[in-house]
Amino acid sequence: MKTASTPAVGFGYRAVINDWTRRNLARFDVLEVTVDHCISGGAAARSAIFDLVGRIPLTAHGVGLSIGTDVPLDLAYLDDVAAVVERLAAPAYSEHLAFTRVPGRDLANLLPLPRTEAVAEQIVAKVRAVQSRVPVPFLLENITYMFEWPDSKMSDADFLNLICRETGAGLLLDVENVFLNAANHGFDPYAFLDDLDSGLVQEVHMAGGITVEEPGHVFLADSHSHPVPDEALDLLAFALARHRPQTIILERDERLDAFDEILDDVDRIRACVASQPGTRDVAPAVGSAG
Amino acid sequence: MSRRLLDRQVELVEYLTSSAAIFDDAGDAPIAVPHGLHRGRLHLEARFSHQKRMEKIAGVLPRTFALMGARRAVIGRDFAAACPPTDISRLSNARQFQAFLGPWWRRRKARPACVPDVAACETACAAVRAYRDSGEPAGRDSPAGAVRRARGAVLLRCRYDVRPLFETGGARDGAGDVRPAARDTPLAVAAGPDAEPRIFELSPAVFALLATLDDWTDAAPFTATPQSASLLRMLRQSGLVEAGR
Repeated sequence: MKTASTPAVGFGYRAVINDWTRRNLARFDVLEVTVDHCISGGAAARSAIFDLVGRIPLTAHGVGLSIGTDVPLDLAYLDDVAAVVERLAAPAYSEHLAFTRVPGRDLANLLPLPRTEAVAEQIVAKVRAVQSRVPVPFLLENITYMFEWPDSKMSDADFLNLICRETGAGLLLDVENVFLNAANHGFDPYAFLDDLDSGLVQEVHMAGGITVEEPGHVFLADSHSHPVPDEALDLLAFALARHRPQTIILERDERLDAFDEILDDVDRIRACVASQPGTRDVAPAVGSAG
Repeated sequence: MSRRLLDRQVELVEYLTSSAAIFDDAGDAPIAVPHGLHRGRLHLEARFSHQKRMEKIAGVLPRTFALMGARRAVIGRDFAAACPPTDISRLSNARQFQAFLGPWWRRRKARPACVPDVAACETACAAVRAYRDSGEPAGRDSPAGAVRRARGAVLLRCRYDVRPLFETGGARDGAGDVRPAARDTPLAVAAGPDAEPRIFELSPAVFALLATLDDWTDAAPFTATPQSASLLRMLRQSGLVEAGR
């Protein structure tokens, strides 16, 4: 286990590499479980995930809430989440500050919200509903986005600060998303990190994407398919100098058989953590995350 | 007065799931870019979402996609225009695609003509796997002495005998030489002893019998003669019928 000031470094559990993950459990301090895989996945997938309880600390992440859709939250879904979180003994539950669907259509892709005070107010009410239903700290994750709403007057950081300040929710800081958004939309990622309220970041996501070249412009896409770029590690180091997350998770959804890359990324993240003043490693232990 | 957020979200998602946004053209059904949003960036968002959806579907229907060959692009385009995504799951999207593909393929008399049957068979196999993975116990709350069609089993009436395509990866790479015979083929798909889907050809009478066994039915008539009892035993062993406890 890590010292109180040293984040646990882990990996986002993926069923298709379950066997490999189990063989390499000692390489991770923590695994992040996608709660939706427990709720709507098959019995075998659920069983494999729950079998990890007690073997390694687990934290809970969701993709199915669509908290930003302007309709009432699905309370039955939240009750399912609460049951999974309890079963995993997860210390927190995180979701994206985004919407993925509207009644009758499901894009299955994270879409941004207009960053306005009125929208923040709506989200605040929903975060409170989540907090009343799921009995562990709730974290919101910043997403990557291709486009912006014309009335998004607030900065990313101000929008997140406002919602989290009003609700006490924490931030799951996706460093790769900050890196991509800064490159694609032309803002300073370091200024974004500086603008986040102190103590806001509870967990961190790291990943590597791809460069897509289109006629007229080049942009970076969050494909979770390649090694974490050095620029994202620099941002992580900058963030760690200002925040004390409990957990840093490497996400990978493509090229999952590139095992060496995954382990190398974990080592690079550990090295980044270790380079922070005042951190030290002790032997990992099972029992609680973070 | 400013518009409701939901109205703006609906307008955006409808645009992002339109052919105009996915393929960056007006197509047959032009749709306006939501006010103030960047058309080029919405096109990228729409295109990536569509690609991810089609990858999900191809993962469920690999033989179908191999057999579709060069038509994949035009079918994908027509599918996007006709069937916006309503659900995130792979199986739901595959079902939507299969339902769209059959009429599309037959209307154009496309070759090989067996493709709709292959798609139906692959979808049935995926449904059997999904039922197996759901972990729902067979015969829960079942009356003793009753039988019904196994909940996870799927019945299919095919125009071609496509079973050879499902043997040892046939047509997975699109290079198979298998030419399914054109004949009315009643099939059933059910989980085998290894829990993997198995495809059975049924006689028309057995197919009709299984089609009637939606609900628990007194098993006595099926054990009245040695032949019917033997048939029932075989159907149970094949995973096509379940018995009450």
